[in-house]
Amino acid sequence: MINAETAGIVIMLIGLYGLITKRNLIKQVLAINVISTGLVLFFVGTGYVENAEVPILPQQAVVDPLPATLMLTTLVVDVAITSLALALILRMRREER
Amino acid sequence: MIPILVALPLLVAFLVTLFETLKVKEGKIKSVFLAGILLPWVIFIHTATKLPLSEIVGNHAKEAGIQVSLDIYNFYFILAELILFSLVAVYSMSYFKQRAKNGKIYALLLLMHAGLLGAFISRDLFNYYIYMEVASVSSFALVALSDEKGAKKAAYKYLAFSLVASYLFIFAIGIIYLKTGYLNVELIKSSVTVSREINVALAVAFSALILKAGIFPLHFWLPDAHSKAPNPISALLSGIVVKAPIYGMLLLYLALPIRKSLLNLLTLIAFSSMLIGVIFALLQKNAKRLLAYHTVSQMGYVLLGIATSNPLGAIYYAFAHTLFKGGLFLSIGTLINAQKTKDLESLTYRHDKILMISIIMLSLAIGGISPFVGAFGKKLLLSNLSGIQLYLFYIAGVGTLVSFTKLNYYLMKQGKAVKSDLTQKVLSLIIAVLTLAFGVYFGLVISYRDLLVILVAILTFWLLQRVGFFNITLKKYFGESMEEIGREVNAYMVLYSLFLLVLLLQSF
Repeated sequence: MINAETAGIVIMLIGLYGLITKRNLIKQVLAINVISTGLVLFFVGTGYVENAEVPILPQQAVVDPLPATLMLTTLVVDVAITSLALALILRMRREER
Repeated sequence: MIPILVALPLLVAFLVTLFETLKVKEGKIKSVFLAGILLPWVIFIHTATKLPLSEIVGNHAKEAGIQVSLDIYNFYFILAELILFSLVAVYSMSYFKQRAKNGKIYALLLLMHAGLLGAFISRDLFNYYIYMEVASVSSFALVALSDEKGAKKAAYKYLAFSLVASYLFIFAIGIIYLKTGYLNVELIKSSVTVSREINVALAVAFSALILKAGIFPLHFWLPDAHSKAPNPISALLSGIVVKAPIYGMLLLYLALPIRKSLLNLLTLIAFSSMLIGVIFALLQKNAKRLLAYHTVSQMGYVLLGIATSNPLGAIYYAFAHTLFKGGLFLSIGTLINAQKTKDLESLTYRHDKILMISIIMLSLAIGGISPFVGAFGKKLLLSNLSGIQLYLFYIAGVGTLVSFTKLNYYLMKQGKAVKSDLTQKVLSLIIAVLTLAFGVYFGLVISYRDLLVILVAILTFWLLQRVGFFNITLKKYFGESMEEIGREVNAYMVLYSLFLLVLLLQSF
């Protein structure tokens, strides 16, 4: 069986493939987003504990909440940088005309 | 107490943006901005007497909280950051004065200030990454601010590569967390057992940080971004932003046992960066590109410190490099502002005695001539080298001097007198004097052997000019259209993947 970590790494590699093969800048930004999605999956996978519960109330066994929390921060960075990258591409296109 | 160092500029960045929206007068915004840049000094001086300091933010348990420290490993990074930022802040107010509505620029500068300080005090890998990213995002935006042709493209390339490197760095942090269960550097050190996964994590993390620090062969984004940014921003980028990844390498060095084979590979990378950076710099005709290629070369020196298990060498050399490279960008930037060209053939400092003195002083400092601050870092770096490494080290040093002989040779020619801004000139002189003052403070004296080195450099320069070496022009392989930028990103991404693969292969 494939686990979440492996799937995450594979998705990251797909993103890298996109960056290597696509010339369109918008597609490159999307490829970077694919890498970040793979990364999030990898991290959430690292916190997974078999048969464990959601870490809300004190229970017997819970999954590790820290990786998911870290990924929230990373997602915020993603949003900021994606918008900045798209804005830059718009400006470049305007300069080109 | 230490976290307040970061909180102050962050708070002021928010206030500056708010004031800008409320249409407060520019003069008031400027003074608030300056306060935000300078306030961390108060905390820094207050705490500097009680080193080493360490605390967990919010007084949580060490396992749960974020640790911040102020000790020998980051004292000089923070000192360099504060010195350079204070001078550049004043410089930018003079540089951007023709533009209206500078609030956004000031807010971005403050964010970069907070990000760098936050990265430098951190002893927690993830927290370090977040703050480094804050600084990087503001630098992407600041590079794009420049009106120069191609600045947006340079910013896009910088953003794309830096972002991919960041993701791989977090990926490496993830592996480390998976194997040790901690993000805190001290806790990782106490609980780590050597395994293949840790070696892989180290290889991935180092490849990412090498890209972010602009070290050869992953330097491709650096010359464009650093030479096309507005002049004060170039000083910050080359001076201190590239030092944040170096601090990350230092954290990894402190946290994890690095295998000998990886260290050997890093030494090789460091030497190739030192030498190839200088060769490219020698061939440049654009003053700012020349300085940018020297950053590639000088970052090789800093990496050499880490690769030869000599963190103090890396720290002191990084400190020295911040001062003289920041100073060089400021002083040459002043010339460029006044004469409106970046071409070495037409720039001149003949009519500007203050700039002439500061550029010559800074050139000696970057060449590692005693008693300037660069010589102290070099002396520390040399202590762990032997055999052929010593010769390569000296060759790179002489090469740097040859390149700066060339710079001064071109700048010394006659030209028409153009007045440059007094504030900008004085700031350049201050930083030049600081390189000398810190050198003397570290106990350096005038050495006659260095005079010989300068003589050798001038002779080599004369020989190379006779041979016609400086007339070689490098052809640009990639064009300027958007399609070409896409192709360039593709090509360099392949290079990065191959580099990563090489580092990964040695970790098995």
